[in-house]
Amino acid sequence: MSESKENEEGLLGSTSSRRDFLRIAGTGIAGAFVTLTLGCATMVRTQDGKNLKVWATPSGAMVQDPNLCVGCRRCEAACTVRNDGKASAYVARVKISRNLNYGVEGVSSAYALADGQHGNFRIVAQTCRQCAQPKCGDACPAGAIKADKKTGARIVDARRCVGCGACQDACPWHIATLDPETRVSTKCSLCDGDPTCAKACPTGSIKFYTWEEAEKLLWGADATSGASAVSGATA
Amino acid sequence: MAQTFGWTGKILRVDLTNGKVSIDDTMKYKDFIGGEGIGYKILWDEVPAGTHPYDPENKLIFGAGPLCGSGVPCSGRTTIVSLLPTSSHHGAGSSHMGGYFSVEMKYAGWDAIVLEGKAPKPVWIRIEDDKVKIEDARWLWGKGIFDTMAMIDSQMGKEAQVAAIGPAGENQLNMAVIRTGTSHSAGGHGGILGAKNVKAVAVKGTGSVKVAADRSKLMELDKYMMSIIGANNQMVVPSSPQPWAEFSDKGSRWTGRPGLYWGAANPPVETGTCDPHDMQSVGFRTMKAVFDLGAGAEKYTVRMGGCAHCPIRCHSQLKVPQLEKYGMDPFVSNTCVGWSGPRGVMYNGIKEFDGNGEDSSIVGNAIGTTMVDDLGVWCNYGQIGRDVKYLYTKGIFKKVLPAEEYASIPWDKLEKGDATFLIDFYDRVAHKKGEIWHIADGSAWFAQRWGLGDEYWDYKDNKLWTRGGYPVHHSNEAGAQVGALISCLTNRDSQNHSHMNFIGSKLPIAIQKEIAGEIFGSPDALDAPMDYTKMNEYKARFIKYAVVRGRLHDSLTLCNWMWPMAVSPLKERKYRGDTSLESQFFSAVTGVAKTEAELDKDAERVVTLLRALTVRSMGTVDMRNTHDAMNKWIYTPDKKDGKEIAQFTKGTIQMEKSDLDLGLGMVYKQFGWDEKTGAPTKAALEAVGLKDVAEELGAKGLLPA
Repeated sequence: MSESKENEEGLLGSTSSRRDFLRIAGTGIAGAFVTLTLGCATMVRTQDGKNLKVWATPSGAMVQDPNLCVGCRRCEAACTVRNDGKASAYVARVKISRNLNYGVEGVSSAYALADGQHGNFRIVAQTCRQCAQPKCGDACPAGAIKADKKTGARIVDARRCVGCGACQDACPWHIATLDPETRVSTKCSLCDGDPTCAKACPTGSIKFYTWEEAEKLLWGADATSGASAVSGATA
Repeated sequence: MAQTFGWTGKILRVDLTNGKVSIDDTMKYKDFIGGEGIGYKILWDEVPAGTHPYDPENKLIFGAGPLCGSGVPCSGRTTIVSLLPTSSHHGAGSSHMGGYFSVEMKYAGWDAIVLEGKAPKPVWIRIEDDKVKIEDARWLWGKGIFDTMAMIDSQMGKEAQVAAIGPAGENQLNMAVIRTGTSHSAGGHGGILGAKNVKAVAVKGTGSVKVAADRSKLMELDKYMMSIIGANNQMVVPSSPQPWAEFSDKGSRWTGRPGLYWGAANPPVETGTCDPHDMQSVGFRTMKAVFDLGAGAEKYTVRMGGCAHCPIRCHSQLKVPQLEKYGMDPFVSNTCVGWSGPRGVMYNGIKEFDGNGEDSSIVGNAIGTTMVDDLGVWCNYGQIGRDVKYLYTKGIFKKVLPAEEYASIPWDKLEKGDATFLIDFYDRVAHKKGEIWHIADGSAWFAQRWGLGDEYWDYKDNKLWTRGGYPVHHSNEAGAQVGALISCLTNRDSQNHSHMNFIGSKLPIAIQKEIAGEIFGSPDALDAPMDYTKMNEYKARFIKYAVVRGRLHDSLTLCNWMWPMAVSPLKERKYRGDTSLESQFFSAVTGVAKTEAELDKDAERVVTLLRALTVRSMGTVDMRNTHDAMNKWIYTPDKKDGKEIAQFTKGTIQMEKSDLDLGLGMVYKQFGWDEKTGAPTKAALEAVGLKDVAEELGAKGLLPA
C-alpha cells in the first residue's frame, strides 16, 4: 500500500469526520498556527490556550465483512505472531474472538437468534478504525501513540508506553489492548503497509480499505460494528 | 518454571473430591508430546487396572499439544483421554473436539486439565487465566448443552469457551459426548464428567502461545503449508472441472465451484473457482453442506464454520426455518457423521413428512443433530442407527422391551420415514427412560444384556469391527488390509485419517501409487479401490505410518482429519505434499529441533503406551486372539447369485482370514511387538523409552515370553 492521495491532503480532506473535526475544533483553532507534518500528530495551541493534538490522516484501515468471515481466527494468530512473536487472541489487533460466540452485544436470552456461533452464525469483527481524532492517542499520558510516518496508522511506541491502559479505556470499542504479559499497549499498525491479517484470511473477509472507503464502511451504516456495511445486510 | 515455547509449561489438576486445585509441570511429560500422549501417561501412572470409567479413581484429561494455539493450520483440536465406558474391557481411549476450547485453554496458560475424583454435588469449573474456581452447577444440571453454554457465558463473559455435557452425560450414558462450541462433540467420555458431577469446564484466556523461531520463519512455513493443503480430508482434486485443475472427481469434498453459493448468506456468497494459489479462497473450497446433505442444502447454507486456526471449513452452518415447527431454533451446524450418525436411526430413510416436501431429508437431519447436540448423546460413529435397524427389524426390541413400553414407541413413524421419530427416540435414550435407552450402553454391553450372540457381531450390515464394541471407521473399505488392521489397534473406532487422507485424495491411482512408493518403499503399499491384493511388507509400513501419525496429531494437537500433508493440489509439485511439515512446525514453534523420524519416534512411544494400557486393562498378552480378533463378516466372502465371490478379485472388499492373520503379525513386527501375541516386548518398550512400563508389565506377568 502506498501513501495515498488522502494522506497528502491530510486534514484538508473532504470526508465527513474530518469536516466534523474541523467544525468542532474550528473556533478554537482559528487564528492558531497549524502545521501538518505528514505521518505525525502535531500539537497546536488554541486561542484559549489549550493544547490540541492534530492528527495526520491514515492511509486507510482494516475492515472485516461479517458475511464472508468463517471464524477461523487465522487473522488473530497471524497478527500476533508477526507483531509479538507469539500467538494470542486477546492482544490481536483484529478482534474476532470476543464476538465469535454471541456477537458484539454479548449473551442474551435470545442468543439462539442473535449474532455469533451460538446464534445466527454471523461473525462481526471489530477492527481499529484509525480514527481521525483517535481517543486512544488523545488519552495517552505518555505521548506513546502517534501516527506512523509511512501509513498514518495510529501506532504505539512501546518504548514510551507506560502500560496504564488509558488508551484501552478511552477507545469506544476497546481496540487498543494492554498486553497482560508485557504491560505494553498494542493496537493495529497496518503492519507497515502490508497487513498480515488480510494475507492470512482464507476467504478475503478482512481487507485493507483506503481511508475514504474505510470511513464509509466503518462509520456509514452501523456505528457499533461498522462492518455490516461491507455486505450491506445481515445474515 | 523455565520459559517454554509452544507448551505453556503448566498442567492444571482439579481434585473434585476435596476441591483442591494444583499445578503440574508439563515438561516432565515432554517425551509424550502433549494432548493424547500426556493423557495416556497420566492414565498409566495414576489410574490402576480394573478401574471402572465411572469410578472416582478414573481421571479425565483435556489435552492440547505444543502446536495448539500457535496458529499452525488445523491446530484447534482438543484431545480428551480417559477410560472408555463403551469398551468391553474399559480400555483407554481418546475422544476429540474441534472448535476453540483447547486454544482458549492454552491462552489461559494450560496445556492440559486433569479432572480427578468426584465432586460431592454438581459443579462446573471456571478458569480465567490462572484463576480457577469450582462453581455450583445447581442451576445448570438437567439443562441442554446450548442453554448451559449461554448461562455460563453470561457469567464469565461472552468470549469464554465451554465444554459441557447434556442430560445424557449427567445420566452416565456410555454413549454420551462432551461438546464445545456450536457443533463440536467428543464422543464417548460424556458419562465420565457426569459421574464426576462436572457439568462443564469453561475457560477464558488473555495469554499467548510463545513461538521460539524467528517470527518470519513461522510465517514462511505457514505460507508453504497453505500452498500444500487441500480440501476437507486433504482431498486435493476438485469435484467438478476447474480451469486450474488437471483432474476432477465427483466424490471429492473440494466442492467449491462457480455457481455454487452459501445460499442463505445475505447477500449469497459464491464459492467460486478456488484456485489453490489463491490463499484468500481456501475457505470456500469445502462446501460441505451439499456434500453431506445434498444439493438442496445450498439454499440453507449461511456459511461454513469449523475450528480455530483452520482454513478448511468443514462444518456447515445452516438456517433451516422448518425447525421452528418443532420448537427448535432454526440455526444448526455440523459435519459428516455429526449429521448422518444421529439421523441414521431412520433406517428406512427419511421420506416426506409434515409437509416439509423435498427438503424433508435436510429437515430430518437437522432435527437429529439438534437433538443429540443438545442432549449430548453419542452415535458411536453411526452405530446407533445400525443397531436400531437390527434390533427393530429382527424383532429383538419386541422381545426385550416391556410390552407397554414397546407399544408406546411410535414405530410407524420410523417405518414411514417421519423424522420426528428422532425427537421421541433421543428423549427416551438421553433420559434413560424404560429399557430402550440401554442401546446407549454400547454394543458390547447391550449384546450381553439382551442376549445377542455371534449372529449380532458377525452380521455384515452391523459393521462391528471387534467384540470390543466399536464399528468400522475407514477400515477394509479404505486401502484393504491397511484400514482393516489399523482398526484393530484402538479401543474404539480407530478415527484414523492418516491413511484415509492419502487413499481418498482423489488423485489418479497411478500418481497415488507413485507417491506411496516414495513414502512407503513400494507402490504396492496401495491398492486401487475395490481391486485388492494380498498383504505385503509395504502395507505394513503404511499402517505403521498411519497409526503413528494419528497419535502424533492427537498429541500435537493437529487435526488428523486434515493432516498429514502427503499430497498437494499443485501440478507444479507433481501433487507431492510434504510429510515433514509436522516436524518443521514442531521445531519452529517449540525450539526443540526434531527431524521427521525423531518426532515419529515420540509418537511411536505414545502408540506403544496405548498398547501397554490395553494389555494391562485386559490382563492378557494375547492381543491377537482377544483385542485384535476381527468379527467374521469382515473375512466372509460376498455372494452373488448364490455363488461366493473370491477375495482379491475385482469388485469385492471382503478380506481373507489367513491374510489378515499374516498381516497382524507383520504390523506387530513393524512396532517390534511379539509377532505371536501382538503384545509389546520388553525390548520394544525399552526401545521407545518405556522401561518403567516394561517393569510393571513384567511384574504382572504381562510381557510376552
